Amino acid sequence: MTETGVGTASQDGRIVVDDLTKVFRGNIRAVDRLSFTVEPGSVTGFLGPNGAGKTTTLRMLLGLVHPTSGRATIGGLDYGQIHGPLGVVGAALESSGFHPARTGRNHLRIQCQAAGFPDQNADTALGLVGLGEAGKRKVRGYSLGMRQRLSLAAALLGNPRVLILDEPANGLDPDGIRWQRGFFRHMASEGRTVLVSSHQLNEVQEIADRVVILNRGQLVRSGSIAELRAGSDAVQVRTPNPDPLLAGLAEAGARAEQTGPGTLRITGLPIEQVGHLAFVHGVELHELQPENFNLEQLFFALTQEGAPGPGLQAIDAGGKR
Amino acid sequence: MIRLVRAEFLKLRTTQVWFWLLLAAIAVTALLVVAQLAPHDGVRSEDDVYSVFTSSGTAYVVVFVLGVLGVTTEYRYETITPTVLATPSRWALVTAKMITYALLGAGYALVCVIVQLAMALPWLASKNIDVSLTSNHIPAALLGVFLVVMLFGIVGLGVGALIRNQIVAVSVGVVFLLVIQNILPAIPGVKYAFPYTPGGAVAAIFTVVGSRDVNGATLFTPVGGVVVLLLWAFVPAILGAKFTLTRDIT
Repeated sequence: MTETGVGTASQDGRIVVDDLTKVFRGNIRAVDRLSFTVEPGSVTGFLGPNGAGKTTTLRMLLGLVHPTSGRATIGGLDYGQIHGPLGVVGAALESSGFHPARTGRNHLRIQCQAAGFPDQNADTALGLVGLGEAGKRKVRGYSLGMRQRLSLAAALLGNPRVLILDEPANGLDPDGIRWQRGFFRHMASEGRTVLVSSHQLNEVQEIADRVVILNRGQLVRSGSIAELRAGSDAVQVRTPNPDPLLAGLAEAGARAEQTGPGTLRITGLPIEQVGHLAFVHGVELHELQPENFNLEQLFFALTQEGAPGPGLQAIDAGGKR
Repeated sequence: MIRLVRAEFLKLRTTQVWFWLLLAAIAVTALLVVAQLAPHDGVRSEDDVYSVFTSSGTAYVVVFVLGVLGVTTEYRYETITPTVLATPSRWALVTAKMITYALLGAGYALVCVIVQLAMALPWLASKNIDVSLTSNHIPAALLGVFLVVMLFGIVGLGVGALIRNQIVAVSVGVVFLLVIQNILPAIPGVKYAFPYTPGGAVAAIFTVVGSRDVNGATLFTPVGGVVVLLLWAFVPAILGAKFTLTRDIT
């Protein structure tokens, strides 16, 4: 029964969130007309500040919270329609869903029993996340990091095609984070869908191929890291004579802002062309260097002003060139 | 469904509450048997024998508590999330829990009945009171014990689903069962409500012989008592399934 439940419609592990809205009691609009898709074979980072609606969205995707309107499907099906869901979707939502007096292994055995998997799956999953012997201890004595590993083990019980993980790196030590990074990449390379919510942006930049950025329940931006990078790469220039260069840049359609006396920040033009323009205009350069892409910076630009903010427009304009 | 019931039993087995509550049920059964047989003015003739064999029925209180815990623990420790992820159908989940706790009640009833028989039969024999398992309405008493204890597992689930807060649900339930409903017959006006309470239903089921008058209020027949108890078991459980378990799990 290990491989049960992968219905034909669920073979495709695509996640589709379509015009999803959740209004909680008290007229709290946690998720507001949200649409995005998550493709198999990739790690997708699901980002947003606290209270952005990430967890509510994931819970709607898993049939735990009922949408006010719209739909969220996995492989074209609502979670509740998936036959043998643990064999298709593995979810680790938070580290607290354990009875403290139960051992980690028994927690997993209960899930196996309910899903019709043999107990052996529990031991395999414990081994995969590095809990092994610790699985025989009561959860009461687990550290936060161990609980995270147990959550992940529960998600892996049915060898699922789709992994949905809410802040999985919380409480992990650097070793654990590095291990997890490799693990998610490996899962995606096998063609699985991996959706990881996080607020640890540098971590997401390391592991994710794509990101979905959420703020106040609304989609701010989604796309591949490469796309975001293309729109936000900037070049820093220091020169004693900026004016001829500024004129040349304007002609070439690039955007330049003066960030200090003699220093410019240029977007919309590759670094080689900036260097070439300086050469043909006879401008002496003391510095010409790329400004490293920083998801964190982009994230704050996108989320601080609400959505869609001025930061977004600037990046979109850049992306179109 | 069988694997869901087995998963529910595994949940029970993997914590120790079931064991301590089983010891409690055995202890209360034993105490009641002793309390009825030991005094000089206790059981003296065959006519007094029947009620000794309903002693194990008191196990219904601990099975009720287990039923309440069966739902409220899921919410208290948020294991409801993995439970529902494995079994998205709330109705399948509730059905599995009802079957599990009814079977659990049957198990507790069986253990307590064995304890009660092992104590009462030799003791009665030593008092030269001749009793066989088919005399003195003993089969009706034992059938009643099984029915009562099994159904109270489901009553507990319903109460747990409707109240959800573990401490409140257990305290309110136990205080109602052990105190409030038992003082109802002493209060003029509301005493007529007693036959409709779970305790009134239990009293009716265990009144195969003797008067059905309780301080002026008349108990149902044993079969009527079973019907009342069935309502107490299924109405809260169905309401709980419909209104509580389908609620958002945040």
